[in-house]
Amino acid sequence: MVVDTTTNELDIEIEGLTYTYEGAGSPALKDISLRFERGKMTCLLGRNGSGKSTLARCLNGLLLPGEGRVLSCGLETSDRSNALEVSRRVAMVFQNPDTQMVGETVEEEVAFGPENLGLPTSEIRERVDYALEQAGITELAARQPLRLSQGQKQLVAIAGAIAMKPDFLVSDEATSMLDYSARLRVVELFERLRRGGMGIIHVTHFLEEATLADSVVVLDDGLVVASGTPRDTLGDPGKVRALGLDPLAVTIVAYELEKHGFSVPEDVLTVKELLAWLYA
Amino acid sequence: MALRLKLEDISYSYPLPGSGEAAALSGVSMAVEPGEVLCLAGANGSGKSTLAQVCTGLLLPEAGSLYYGEEKIHGRGPLRDFRRKAGLLFQNPEDQLFADTVARDIAFGPRNHGLKGDELEKRVRESAALVGLPLEELGGRSPFSLSGGEQRRAALAGVLALDPEVLVLDEPFIGLDYEGRRSLEEALTRYRDERGATIIIVTHELSHVWSLATVFGLISEGRLLRFETRAELLSGDADLSSLGMQLPQWGALARELLRSGLSIDDPADPRALAGAMARHKGAHDGG
Amino acid sequence: MAVNDITIGQYLAAPTLLHRVDPRLKLGAVVAATVLVFIYSGWPLLAFAAMLVTLLAVCGLPLLRVAKALRSVWVIVFVTFLLQIFLTPGEVLWHWGFLSITDTGLANGLLLSGRVVILVVLLSALTMTTPPLKLADGLESLMRPLAYLKVPIARVTTIFSITLMFIPSILDQSSKLVRAQMARGADFESANLLRRVKDVLPVLVPLFVKVFHDADELAVAMDARAYGGGRGRTRLYPMKIHAAEALLTLTFVLASVAIVFIP
Repeated sequence: MVVDTTTNELDIEIEGLTYTYEGAGSPALKDISLRFERGKMTCLLGRNGSGKSTLARCLNGLLLPGEGRVLSCGLETSDRSNALEVSRRVAMVFQNPDTQMVGETVEEEVAFGPENLGLPTSEIRERVDYALEQAGITELAARQPLRLSQGQKQLVAIAGAIAMKPDFLVSDEATSMLDYSARLRVVELFERLRRGGMGIIHVTHFLEEATLADSVVVLDDGLVVASGTPRDTLGDPGKVRALGLDPLAVTIVAYELEKHGFSVPEDVLTVKELLAWLYA
Repeated sequence: MALRLKLEDISYSYPLPGSGEAAALSGVSMAVEPGEVLCLAGANGSGKSTLAQVCTGLLLPEAGSLYYGEEKIHGRGPLRDFRRKAGLLFQNPEDQLFADTVARDIAFGPRNHGLKGDELEKRVRESAALVGLPLEELGGRSPFSLSGGEQRRAALAGVLALDPEVLVLDEPFIGLDYEGRRSLEEALTRYRDERGATIIIVTHELSHVWSLATVFGLISEGRLLRFETRAELLSGDADLSSLGMQLPQWGALARELLRSGLSIDDPADPRALAGAMARHKGAHDGG
Repeated sequence: MAVNDITIGQYLAAPTLLHRVDPRLKLGAVVAATVLVFIYSGWPLLAFAAMLVTLLAVCGLPLLRVAKALRSVWVIVFVTFLLQIFLTPGEVLWHWGFLSITDTGLANGLLLSGRVVILVVLLSALTMTTPPLKLADGLESLMRPLAYLKVPIARVTTIFSITLMFIPSILDQSSKLVRAQMARGADFESANLLRRVKDVLPVLVPLFVKVFHDADELAVAMDARAYGGGRGRTRLYPMKIHAAEALLTLTFVLASVAIVFIP
């Protein structure tokens, strides 16, 4: 089995993507055009049913475009012969830690992907060790995945994706079911991977995670309704609420402060930044 | 109208999900006044779900006593009677919905309690209305054909139909978006106001219950570490991150401001926070 | 709740000798034993049972767990037994009304239920010591010659292993459902058996809904990691049959065959 392991500098390009679920009355995605770059983290936000999960699944060929095209690292996802290569370059982790585990031990779990790629045993070994180290879970190698905490399971799932040596990692709400400290570890791992050159696309409910991203895309009813830096998209609580999202507390307080005659810069999104302004 | 629920030195051992190891609730004591909204907060595996089940009479404590009102709950019979007054909503609607139609599922609980005929129908209708579920449209459909949000509402209606005095919800907000959370909050507030019920919400995500809860119980490794109001939580020194939790942005901001000496009348109100900050800034800017 | 006691299909992560044996050998031995079990008559069956139990004990398998597995199938065994003793013609030993127990019936009953018991033990031993994916690998490898007959072995083994993986999940889910219904006034503890059955049956539908939902999510996750149904898959720890285990298995099978000839 020949697998192309050369690094590809191309991004994920989406042109005019429309997708309708079978039996659904209206499209889940309507004429979406976007681009995702390697080395950057993008958060996808939107209310339930906005299409963000659907979009995530179009990126690695899990779902094929109804209309338009998705070019993942230069490969058309609608071309079935690209399926293997696309899933190698665009890895994915999902929301539920429990329904992703297949392996008997953590290291076999992480080896699952490379095994499917038909790589020689020695290379599988290397990749597994590398992935475990990146995810910071080397000490869990011999443990049974289903006996770990939810947060640890997600780290194992991400390690499994890292072992594919992908150019992009798509997280379909990988943090939604985790508690705060587990979420922190996952997002920190995403950051580490991003710095190493991977493109991260993270679908999330938590606006605080979005403040750490390079760019934010907000979907509503299958359309892109906002995109830009976190500052641009999340600074105005009224707009954020209209998109069906829970505005950041800091932005609401900033908005109230305006009524008192103070102008808080729109790029203040965290408690730290607000306090810095206060005590300046 | 609910009565006071009191736990005294409760102990119970439970298997940790996934690993099968045993952990234990030990020495848990607390009293919940009628009409309170208690948030039982703790990381996964801390024992909060087990404690919640003890609060509904689903589990008989191995040691310690449970009091409802003046009466001590003692033995299988009284426990079963108490269970009828309590309702528990599980995290996943799929763990609860099962009947062939939505209406019949909602009716399951009250029917088990002996309601029938017109009274039963009325109860089903009222419960569906409380949660905002359109019964005329969805009542005859299979619960599994509903969307995630609708399923949750149907499951809640099924529990409210029992007319519980003590309502316990296990992680009800996970996976809901902003609007989903608002409508659930409204339904719970409505129920509490109409029925005088006591509500206990189990969660690890404080931001979800920040405005709703009146009192917070922090649980870690089977022990109840703190039991305090929001104001006490903010002025206290509980180390939430070691418990795997984090104050929501509101709380974090309020806490920092209180610590630096600002006075805020209502730390949950953004206007009060802004007001306090404006006063400080004004004073210090000399303007 | 008895549901939690079912141990068939549940992998046990203890370090028994059998865990290290190549799955292909174990599968082969189980298949051979199954065939032989239906050939054995009374005494050989007992002899085989004794040999099997001794082997399992020597290899470190917790026999108590196996006994638990038997507990959950006692109904099947009992019904089989009853059908045999009452419905087989022969010399009547005892009768009550139109129900009569015959000697051949009794003998057949014991034989057949004995066979079921042994099969359950064999299967439990297999699944307890072989994780689902390894079992699937072994199956796939053994079935490879069938590929020439266009049998979709990859698909078969995938379905097989996912099913096995889900048995603990099914148990977990059913206990959750039971608790949810108890919280709504269903009575699973009542002495009234009919009431219990009436309350348990509806649990089956949502049980399967949830399980299918989870299985679907699992399939998607496997897809996302390039799972193509086992064709061309390499391994981190490739399957290799060592002389020692091959010898052990061969001895077991030969001994089992020899038992046929016990008079």
